[in-house]
Amino acid sequence: MTTLPQDWFIKIDALRSAVSDWLTRSFLPIWLPNLAVLLGTLLLALLVWQGNRSERWATAWRRLRGDRLGQAAAVVASLFLVVGSLETVVFPTETGSRTLLQMLLSGIPQEKGYAAPMATHALSVSDPKPLFTRHILGTDALGRDTLVQTLRATRSALWIGGLTSLVYIPLGVLLGILAAYYRGWVDDLVQYLYSTIAAVPEILMLVAILMVLGKGLGTMSIALGITGWVGMARLIRGETLRQMERPYVAAAKAMGQSHWKILTRHLLPNVMHLIVIKFVLGFSGLVLAEAVLSYLGVGAPVGTPSWGTIIDASRSELSREPVVWWNLAAASFALFLLVLSLNILGDALRRAFDPKSNT
Amino acid sequence: MSILKKIRRSALLAAVFLCPMLGGSCSNNPYPAPTQETGADGSPWKVRYGALSEDPRSLDPQVCYDTVGKRVIEPVQECLLEYHPFKTDPYELQPCLLEALPERVAGEGGKTTFRCTLKSGILFHDDPCFPGGKGREVVATDVQYAFQRIADPKVECPALSTLQDYVAGLGEVFEAARKSGEADYSRAISGLQVTGKYTFEIHLTQVYPQLLYWLAMPFTAPVAREAVEYYDGKAHDGIARDLFRFHPVGTGPFQISEWKRNTRIRFVRNPHYRTTTFPKDGWNPARAAELEPLAGRSLPLVDEVCMTIFRESIPIFLLFRQGYLDSMSVGKDAFSSLITPGRDLSEKYKERGVTLHRDTEPSTYYMSLNMEDPVLGPNRKLRQALSAAFNTPTYLDIFYNGVPIVAQQLMPPGIAGHKKEFRNPYGYNLEKAKALLADAGYPNGRDASGKVLELTLDTSGGSADERLGAEFEQRQFEQLGLKIKVVENPFARLMEKLDQGSFQIAAGSGWGADYPDPENFLFLYYSKNIPPAGKNASRYKSPEFDGLFDQMATMENGPQREEIVSRMNALLAEDVPHVLLMHRSLFSLSQPWAPRIQSNPMLEGGLKYAVLDPRQRGELQKQWNSKSLWPIILLLVVFAAASAAGIRAYRRN
Repeated sequence: MTTLPQDWFIKIDALRSAVSDWLTRSFLPIWLPNLAVLLGTLLLALLVWQGNRSERWATAWRRLRGDRLGQAAAVVASLFLVVGSLETVVFPTETGSRTLLQMLLSGIPQEKGYAAPMATHALSVSDPKPLFTRHILGTDALGRDTLVQTLRATRSALWIGGLTSLVYIPLGVLLGILAAYYRGWVDDLVQYLYSTIAAVPEILMLVAILMVLGKGLGTMSIALGITGWVGMARLIRGETLRQMERPYVAAAKAMGQSHWKILTRHLLPNVMHLIVIKFVLGFSGLVLAEAVLSYLGVGAPVGTPSWGTIIDASRSELSREPVVWWNLAAASFALFLLVLSLNILGDALRRAFDPKSNT
Repeated sequence: MSILKKIRRSALLAAVFLCPMLGGSCSNNPYPAPTQETGADGSPWKVRYGALSEDPRSLDPQVCYDTVGKRVIEPVQECLLEYHPFKTDPYELQPCLLEALPERVAGEGGKTTFRCTLKSGILFHDDPCFPGGKGREVVATDVQYAFQRIADPKVECPALSTLQDYVAGLGEVFEAARKSGEADYSRAISGLQVTGKYTFEIHLTQVYPQLLYWLAMPFTAPVAREAVEYYDGKAHDGIARDLFRFHPVGTGPFQISEWKRNTRIRFVRNPHYRTTTFPKDGWNPARAAELEPLAGRSLPLVDEVCMTIFRESIPIFLLFRQGYLDSMSVGKDAFSSLITPGRDLSEKYKERGVTLHRDTEPSTYYMSLNMEDPVLGPNRKLRQALSAAFNTPTYLDIFYNGVPIVAQQLMPPGIAGHKKEFRNPYGYNLEKAKALLADAGYPNGRDASGKVLELTLDTSGGSADERLGAEFEQRQFEQLGLKIKVVENPFARLMEKLDQGSFQIAAGSGWGADYPDPENFLFLYYSKNIPPAGKNASRYKSPEFDGLFDQMATMENGPQREEIVSRMNALLAEDVPHVLLMHRSLFSLSQPWAPRIQSNPMLEGGLKYAVLDPRQRGELQKQWNSKSLWPIILLLVVFAAASAAGIRAYRRN
């Protein structure tokens, strides 16, 4: 028989688990999440500051200030961002590391099991013991406060959104812009790549990648990034093709500017607004994808609260009697709120950046 | 305008479609019509309805070893011996296919011979594999064939590893077949000697009284060679045949008449069945009035059994409530609405005549700690600390509604050697656990250099429940200040890790008794059973334990054996190769028309003793399934209002 020898399988398996270990552990150093939050904040500030200097961005900013709905959405989204950051900042304590959010909310005790919202006694017909305190949104199966869990789960959503954007935006923008600029075989290659990826059903591909790489927020971001750059690349390629016909590109070429200069100085700034809009709209899609994957059981690892896992757990809660509805309600509402506000914000940004609107 | 027309047409269609649903023709009954309306003598055809969680993987009597498989094969394939349905304390065996319990003849040097005689006139099920489709008589060579199949490497019989140590010649035949690549069925096994048409002898190389229990399992049940050869899974004359493992041909009270994968398995009574009758004694005197009228009756007591496969637990409860299931076990979902604070059945169901039963399985669930792990293995105090940190009562409360019994020892209740008053010295006690951990060299979970101790917990993952369980387990150990990394594995991968020993703490281990003997539990920690040879996944190795095991394994039950068993229990309790969780027990319910006759956990349902009153069931089903029209009317009203609003909005534009 000509099969692979047994130790080959072991080696492959060891390699696989080493890779997945590295991917899931790479965020373990305590300073790394904190650094990420710091860098993220700086990046955001830089973006706003940079944007204010360009005329187009200043116009958009002015328009956005007149858009009440967009502003409200921005406020809600920022609140989520703040909560997610609080859950990301880690402090070492006597009994292992705790997140800032956990420390802020550490006054809320853990019960022994389910408790209904604002109930004084545990949710158990057979043994309703008195609770330590009232819980605004009740508690889950292990007696953890639902509100706290829901807030903590914001982190998974934002991490997935953020990390995946870090993977798919550079990839999509680079490939899209290069394809449109160079045309020819580069274009063919990029188009071939993204057509192939787009031809595989997305959720199957995601599950397959996660099965190989193992569970974890890091691996999930990579999986979503691998499948997610296609839309971005298509969008940017189309827009760049349009820009290429504009006289300023011809002028730049005539003046003998290098390819690199044309790409970064002229083309990139002119597609930047598309990237921002796609980023915001795509973010909500990623939050949903995280929930779906966690619901399928290939998402967030044990011990990482996530809306998807809460919703998954509530499948059996709904069939209980009395019905345990508050976990599902809290997680779905939070998910809905974030996705809705991001969508509205995305629309507002699109309107604000639209050169055709003159209001 | 054209859109309006379309709307009208679809409304008409909907009306046509809904009418039959509103009319009297519909019913909640989810089952196909029974195979017959009345029995041969004109009495009503009795069909019992039950539930299964999945398809059985194999119904080959020499292979089948999983819970679902055992439940499905028991009514089809009879064994040489069987458990008495009522004598459970202690468990007692009675002859089934054999005339009487085997006669034991002691030879020199521990060699033993069991003389067995088959009942005459027992027929296999009628099946196309026999000439003329008529089942032939069971003879001693069918038992011989079964033993040859046990020794056939291609069959992969799970009983082989144990039986080859005791039955003379079994191991040699297996080795020879493995070397040549093909089992030689003309070669006899010296340990199984056919001495007459119905008589045979089993020769053992050493004392092994537990053999009797193996004779009560399908592994040693007689098999018709014709059936194995006929059902080869290939097409013959254009007709595809099943594989033998999907088409068992036995002698049991029922035959499988339909197996629709993922949907249901139906059994009909075997018209030739006369191996056993309803027992005449052995029950609790309190039940005499109920059981005496049945004594000596021919079996089975119902004509057909329909087992539906439910992947989710919710429909089981709903169908039971509607009266379409005759019994159910109480799961987590429905617990609160069925069981009261006093652990009693709720009033609503009592009024319906439903009866509540509480069964404890002879099983023990635990988490394995790897004794070969460089951190856990040499550090007994650390293992003791882990065991003491685990809050088992709360665990059982959250995940099992507090029904199971907290395991204090490896041996479950009902098995010789289980000591009621024994308390696990490292049961839940957080303060003690912290002190033990400090003694183990990790005060507050940190080693001498101040580094947090990190351990890996392997679980089988995927479902929401398993994830919650893993989070709970993680929190228990992390209370000590150490860090637990949870790895979720597909079930097969977890089994592989247990076999390879590549784990530290593994959740989800458990053992259910093959037979009610302490040896069947203690062998889990016998050093010769370290995988791949056996099931000692913890890789526990103790010369003292091994010595005691060798001593007790083949002893007859008695005070001396119990003494040894309790010494072994104490050794395990001190060495902590596991975190003990529970002896599983369950609440289950039976409907008023199908009172439960027996509840012996060593039987897989004992379907041949099941009874049924179809008349009462019909009446109550009708009563419990009265139609209510208002939801449909409400739905129609809402739909109409919404369409009207939509049409108006469309017209306005």
